[in-house]
Amino acid sequence: MTDRFTRRQLAVISRVCWTLALCVVAVPFIFPFLWMISSGLKSAAEIFGAPSLIPRRWQWYNYVEVFTYQPFARQYFNSLYISLSVTVLTLLFASLAGYALARMRFAGAALVGLFLVSALMVPEEVTIIPNFFLMKWLGLIDTHLPLILLPVFGPHGIVATFLMRQYFMALPKELEEAGRMDGLSRLGVWWQVALPLSKPALAAVAIITFLHSWNLFLEPLIFVSSLEKFTLPLALTNFTDPYGVPLWHLQLAATSLAVVPILIVYLIAQRQIIESFALSGVKG
Amino acid sequence: MKALTRLLAVSATALVLATPALAAELRVTIWTGNEAHLKMLNGFAESFKATRPDVTVKFETIPPGDYTQKLTFQLAGGNAPDLGWLMEDAAPTFAAANVLEDLAPTLNSTKDYDFADFSAPAMGLWQSGGKVWGVPFSTSPFVIFFNKDMFDKAGLEDPLALAAKGQWDMKTFQDAAKKLTAANGKFGFEFKDGQGYDTRIMHALMPPIRAYGGDVWANKQCGFDSPQSVAAVKQLHEMVFKDKSIVPPGEKGDYFSGNAAMTINQISRASLMPQAGFKWGIAPLPTGPGGESPVIGQAGIVVFAAGKQKKLAADFVAHMSTKAAVATASQFFPPARKSVLASDAFITSNNLIPPAQMKVVADAIAKGKVLPAHEKSPQILAAMKPRVDALWRADANVESALKAVCGAIQPLL
Amino acid sequence: MAEQATNPIARDKSTPWLSLKMREAMEAWLFLGPTLAGFLIFFAGPLVAVVGYSLTEWNLLSQQSTYVGLKNYAHALGNNPDFWHVARNSAIFALGLVPANMALALALALALSRPFPGVIFFRTVFFAPVVTSAAAWAIVWKFLLQGEAGFVNQMLAYVGIDGPNWLREPDWAMVAVILTRVIKMVGLNMILYIAALQAIPRDYEAAARLEGANSWQIFTGITWPLLGPTTLVIMVITTIGSFKVFDHIYLMTAGGPENGTLVLAFYIYEQGFKFFDIGYASALAMIMFVIVMALTLVQLALRRRDT
Repeated sequence: MTDRFTRRQLAVISRVCWTLALCVVAVPFIFPFLWMISSGLKSAAEIFGAPSLIPRRWQWYNYVEVFTYQPFARQYFNSLYISLSVTVLTLLFASLAGYALARMRFAGAALVGLFLVSALMVPEEVTIIPNFFLMKWLGLIDTHLPLILLPVFGPHGIVATFLMRQYFMALPKELEEAGRMDGLSRLGVWWQVALPLSKPALAAVAIITFLHSWNLFLEPLIFVSSLEKFTLPLALTNFTDPYGVPLWHLQLAATSLAVVPILIVYLIAQRQIIESFALSGVKG
Repeated sequence: MKALTRLLAVSATALVLATPALAAELRVTIWTGNEAHLKMLNGFAESFKATRPDVTVKFETIPPGDYTQKLTFQLAGGNAPDLGWLMEDAAPTFAAANVLEDLAPTLNSTKDYDFADFSAPAMGLWQSGGKVWGVPFSTSPFVIFFNKDMFDKAGLEDPLALAAKGQWDMKTFQDAAKKLTAANGKFGFEFKDGQGYDTRIMHALMPPIRAYGGDVWANKQCGFDSPQSVAAVKQLHEMVFKDKSIVPPGEKGDYFSGNAAMTINQISRASLMPQAGFKWGIAPLPTGPGGESPVIGQAGIVVFAAGKQKKLAADFVAHMSTKAAVATASQFFPPARKSVLASDAFITSNNLIPPAQMKVVADAIAKGKVLPAHEKSPQILAAMKPRVDALWRADANVESALKAVCGAIQPLL
Repeated sequence: MAEQATNPIARDKSTPWLSLKMREAMEAWLFLGPTLAGFLIFFAGPLVAVVGYSLTEWNLLSQQSTYVGLKNYAHALGNNPDFWHVARNSAIFALGLVPANMALALALALALSRPFPGVIFFRTVFFAPVVTSAAAWAIVWKFLLQGEAGFVNQMLAYVGIDGPNWLREPDWAMVAVILTRVIKMVGLNMILYIAALQAIPRDYEAAARLEGANSWQIFTGITWPLLGPTTLVIMVITTIGSFKVFDHIYLMTAGGPENGTLVLAFYIYEQGFKFFDIGYASALAMIMFVIVMALTLVQLALRRRDT
């Protein structure tokens, strides 16, 4: 058998087989997105009809109705500004704390590190009940502050801190020492020397933090009850008729609106984004 | 000069009177976002403002699917609204947790309110020991919606005509559903909003069980496994899996878009009918061995004990539930006031439903029983759900499944 | 810093009253301040509080609480069929999800660790669900898995398979939530495996080939042992991740049917916020914490052993 084909031909054949196999495996990864976009453009009646990826009648009006059915634009904006706030605050605090843990010597450093590391894996479900009462006590129920404070200071913030620490530790010390010689304060070294050198780590933290906040579900579910304060994941679940039956065509149109921009950014910056997750994943 | 002083004095007084009032805003949580409903509710707010210029009323819509949950978060989170709608299954839970304000003092002292006008069965859920926890604003019986065209095509008399002759019973219902399915190629019957296997378990099981003379629970005793209940549920099971005349779990057969010949629902759903494109009507629920036993779904308006303006809120409840207000609201929300129920105004209030059929509604309110509720409703429903899920399999043993339901909920009763 | 290392009691020019060492410590605490304060308020404090809550009977709605000692723990761990059913579901979910996720991740990583035309495309595709919100993912799959009218079953019908009523039958619902979760998250583990594979020197394989080893022998003899540390880490991370799953279950099945997909995270939410039983929910949260902590310690121990 083998001598009928050259090694080269064999390699090509096996390559083709592999690629075909990968294409088959890829179906359940791609198809939900295609079907989501397509169904979001169908009428309520067509959605459960004979399956077809191309809508028989393009129902662009769904995309108008999404915005009139509930304050979806407002909810979109909420998600955007909350995620951005969480990202900026996390970058600031995580890089400050990470720098201290990586570079500064003080009594109790190891203890603080251990203390923080214990939080890395704890699910939010564990502390959500006391946090509910804490937010009540602070008068923050039905505001966006819990959705900003908890991700910044909870386990996710600690993950970010350790990512930054890891990166700072790998930086050459000489540049920072030179900065000190030039009379920069600690804060100055952090801001003018360490941070500019850490752009890859900052980008990684920014990416995973933004997505973490953008996709948050349990916290909005519990802390927010007014429609105009909903964030996107919560708003998506709310496309039901007045009796709780899902309006699939609107729900899928809205879901497309929530997912597609993220996917586009992902396609443009996929290498950067995948690396960010790899970095954080190794860390835990 | 004197005039000026007086003017100043008057304005000063007005200011003093108005200043505390500026802050008076009543927050009312509701679950409807329907424009016609909101228009009517805002009308009540306007007329309240006419008597109390200092007060504004703000209605806040919470999505119905999550209403009780979100309301709980608001109450427990120190962000309580002043008043709000409450569904019947939540009423005993909330009353037992002492989060509702007693309205009796306000209602009894309101001029011309005539509290005794509310029918006693309709008030059952909302008062205990002389205290009034809420006033029902919607006491809406379940009725059968039928597709007249499909009945004609199957050559069957419609349920309204059968009911008039006293022949609309569970047996006829099963036969009709079967024939309708055969004649139309569409399902004969759909549970309420197609949710009979999910969120509307009670609405699916309760009417036939009561028609057979059973009860789901009463006096702390589970009734799901009584012979009557078993017979009733067996009939439903047969219709779903043997006759295949009821839309089965996980499938679509929406009555309102012409994909099922009958459904069970409340008259508020009549608003969907003008677009439906077929001839339709409403009829009473089928009777059974237990006789006539209409089932009513109820919602009340309550004042929350955590609110800061409880007296004012209670006054607004009174304002929303005077005879005149209830008559106005009855176009959407069937009333619990006897005087309104008996009035011609109610029978003709709904421009979608002819008076003869509105009579069905009025009768059902007068004779019906409210859906069961319990202090531990959330736990009971959650305990029921998995066991009822087991019922809806083709090979399920109805009797043992219902025994399992009782086994799960009896400790909670 | 060099200065400080040689002379620990040297004085800073601007703050002569502080030794350099003290000054550095002070600055470190200032740098750590916001993170530490937030951590204490929003994490450590609540964690202590949850222990306290778990010893009370506390109704969320009426806000009345009484001390009941260990009753809530006894209620959960004693003869409570609901809790053990939930524990069983969580275990099944983890036991189904973790091996499936890891096997698929490893297979994809092996296929995609070396460059070939289209490799970037495939990596991008397999990773795309990771960046998608769990809510959106659950909504779309719930839609695709509707009974007979659902897309998945319509496709299966084309090839002559009468698909199950996915989200209506307890066993199939569990299969469905596990599979859709695997598809959602496998990209992450794939990337970790790819990184580990690329770190293996090519010489090893070349040497083995020279000695006549086939691909399978190379995999079992060289690649798999070298991936050991990564595999352990991925296993622990994925297992813990499987305990955190809330939104996926909440939106796809809400724990049903027949409580077939009721897992611990959802059970805690239900007990606390739906049944108002703060005490019991807190005890459950503590149980979850202990499980996750134990898994984390195992992970740390394994990492230590490796280095």
